[in-house]
Amino acid sequence: MNRLIMFHGRECPHCKKMMPLVDKMIEEEEVELEKLEVWHNEKNADAMRSYRDIITPKCGGQLRVPSFLNTETKDVFCGEVEYEELVDWAKR
Amino acid sequence: MKKYWRCHVCNDIHFGTKSPKICPTCLQGNAYVEVSSCEALNVMSVTESHVDKDAFAKAIQVFAAAGEFQINPDQERVALLLEGMFNNENNHGLKYCPCRMIEKDFEKDLTLVCPCNFLTHDSYKDKENGECWCGLFKKRRHHE
Repeated sequence: MNRLIMFHGRECPHCKKMMPLVDKMIEEEEVELEKLEVWHNEKNADAMRSYRDIITPKCGGQLRVPSFLNTETKDVFCGEVEYEELVDWAKR
Repeated sequence: MKKYWRCHVCNDIHFGTKSPKICPTCLQGNAYVEVSSCEALNVMSVTESHVDKDAFAKAIQVFAAAGEFQINPDQERVALLLEGMFNNENNHGLKYCPCRMIEKDFEKDLTLVCPCNFLTHDSYKDKENGECWCGLFKKRRHHE
């Protein structure tokens, strides 16, 4: 089953901007997505690092936040996108 | 490989592959001698230096003033980023970019310390409205 994860940082402005869109999508589209904060939670940071080989090729060679990951399809993007693009990723 | 060098006149410490030809502190030529990391750290430990958030904000203003970029005029964004960097320094040892995650590979993680070498990054290079990934630094426009 697809597991959708948003890796985010508490003091990351991109993440702050994306968060209301993510919450809206969860509520309106009934999408299940885990939000994992990585700078203040070492377990979440390790989880993000465990997907290094999937995330970094799509994110400028780095573990950038926010990173949106579908663990099943390996579909990943990082940074800010429009709401429609976010929903499109979640439902792919 | 980078090494430590000490000016034999004023004890200026340099960390690099080559020693400076002229000491930037006392202007003595041919002044540096290669020393151990232990000696370099001992010499530097004499001076304690604390760069708090305000001091760092001023330091990056000076840094940006001489460059083709500026600090983002969005003060709320800058404040959030500074908060993140200083939390990262407290919790993880260095002022890592709040918009990227360390990989626990120290050499690679050093590339995430603010200010990073963003001039070469995809979010900045060859872009009219280029920014570093976190948006702390923005490419300066001619009218700004």
